[in-house]
Amino acid sequence: MNSFSNIKELLRALYDGRDLLTEVFKRRKSVDYKYEYALDLVDNNENKLQFLIDRSILRQNGNNLEIDDIYLQFFEQVLEANEEINTSYINENLEKIKQNIEYYFNEQNEKRKYEYLRTTKNTLRKIGIISLRNLVDLKRNIDNTFKSEPNYKNKRAKLVNLDNKRKDITKLIEQTERLITIDNITFFNTATDEELNRIIVQLKMELRKCTHNLIEIERQIIDFLNQIQQQSGVIEKLRQIKYLKDQFILETTTDIKQVLESKNVLIFESNPSYPLKLSLEYLQTNEDAFKSIQKIAGKSKLGNKLKQPIADKISDEYLETQILQEVQINLEEVKNGFVAGSNNLFDFVLNYNFSKAVSFDERVTIFCQMVSLYDTVFEITEQRDFKNDIEFAMIYAK
Amino acid sequence: MKVPVQTAEIFKLLSKGNFISSNSSDKTISNLYKIIEDDQDFEHLYDYFININFVLEKGDEYFYFSRPETKVDLEKKIEKAFEWIDIIDFFKTYDNAFSAGYRFSPSEILVRIKTDADLETKLDGLKKYTDKTKHQDILDRVLKKLTDDTYFELENDITNQFKVLASFKYLEQLILLINIPDDIRNEIPE
Repeated sequence: MNSFSNIKELLRALYDGRDLLTEVFKRRKSVDYKYEYALDLVDNNENKLQFLIDRSILRQNGNNLEIDDIYLQFFEQVLEANEEINTSYINENLEKIKQNIEYYFNEQNEKRKYEYLRTTKNTLRKIGIISLRNLVDLKRNIDNTFKSEPNYKNKRAKLVNLDNKRKDITKLIEQTERLITIDNITFFNTATDEELNRIIVQLKMELRKCTHNLIEIERQIIDFLNQIQQQSGVIEKLRQIKYLKDQFILETTTDIKQVLESKNVLIFESNPSYPLKLSLEYLQTNEDAFKSIQKIAGKSKLGNKLKQPIADKISDEYLETQILQEVQINLEEVKNGFVAGSNNLFDFVLNYNFSKAVSFDERVTIFCQMVSLYDTVFEITEQRDFKNDIEFAMIYAK
Repeated sequence: MKVPVQTAEIFKLLSKGNFISSNSSDKTISNLYKIIEDDQDFEHLYDYFININFVLEKGDEYFYFSRPETKVDLEKKIEKAFEWIDIIDFFKTYDNAFSAGYRFSPSEILVRIKTDADLETKLDGLKKYTDKTKHQDILDRVLKKLTDDTYFELENDITNQFKVLASFKYLEQLILLINIPDDIRNEIPE
């Protein structure tokens, strides 16, 4: 494997492959990048591509290409795009500081002493930034995992891992704090350097910020884990219970009866109603109640209005005038006529000209009626006569 | 014993078998929750209600009434519990994260039903509790039931958005309380 002999060469190589590297870097999360696509981006110059592979900037894996891990990390860190939380990096830097402090004390040469001091300052500055960036990544990762990881088991496992990372970071921050405040107090007191003091103050501020963030992250992660625990517990249990219920053996196989027996919660009951009677005293004394009563009474009056029973219409038939004529015989008139004449009554009646046709029998009846009505004005003789088998007395007017 | 002035209001809600949940968007209810939550008031209210045979129970972010002795027969309780199991199962199938604080609208569920046969079968299974046949009618009836029982709340009637109240945890707790013996558990397929 060839490597670069100087920075210039490296930069030139990166510059030449800039289009390709940008593209591959963009797709570092998704599927691997195909060799053929890569060729297009380097003007189909296979030598160029081979050069990048030879220099281990790109790695070929079958037909796929990916950026070598060293460069990938470099790009991610410089562009602050890394997702991985790397606690070992802080740890390394801590070690480096400790070593440099040790060298600083051992070294007598002022110039070289200064060199160690410079490295220490650089590393201290880096620690603050790295810790903060790690925290931001951690928080984003936790959020993403909780919100987008579909698999419950993985979600839980990932969150637990992230929680461990959090613990590591906490530990490292504590170590850093101890390093600059307790462990190497002599160094920081003796190496009187204005810049170093400034860096320390800056670092302390950054660390405090980290600690506050960590407390919040811890709270959040515990909350998330609890939610998952609760949710997955409920879902698993629900699935089992639903299964047993659908098999119709839930009652017989589980203690659901006892559980429900012990629960006397009101939600099991149907909605109660409390039909209470009104207080009589209230009804008698309260003005408002009286108004209400009047109102209701008024309503009930209107509602139960008495209906006058109306007779049916009189049929027109009944209203039509019907004339029935009947001829009555005026006996008085007959008597007057008889009294004026000299005929006997029977013959008179028999021959009397009535306004209607009168049969012999009817005339006999009229004769009898006249005798009984007007016997005082008639002279009834002892003489008898026969006519149509009827024997009658001869009656004359007086 | 001094009870808060809102005692009648609290009684009116709880005695109907309703819950008072902390995350209700109804201002009066969340205020009532705050009042009961106060330790001293809770004790007073507890003592007050116990005299009239109601036990004021405190759940995780919700309050409800129970009775010192049973009043409903077991069969009715089981019936009701079965209904809940089916209903919760339906909503949890819709979304695993369906729990207190969750927001949804019935139209979202209906859209999902078109592409999720499992969910559709489960909604059909709820038919027997609603006497309805159309999907939307069944869902509406189920939602009305749970809203009346104060497990859900219609948060926004313009967008028809519902919110799951803290009292939903009661149903989850009930599910967790049921103990399945190990040998039976092993027989349940994964």
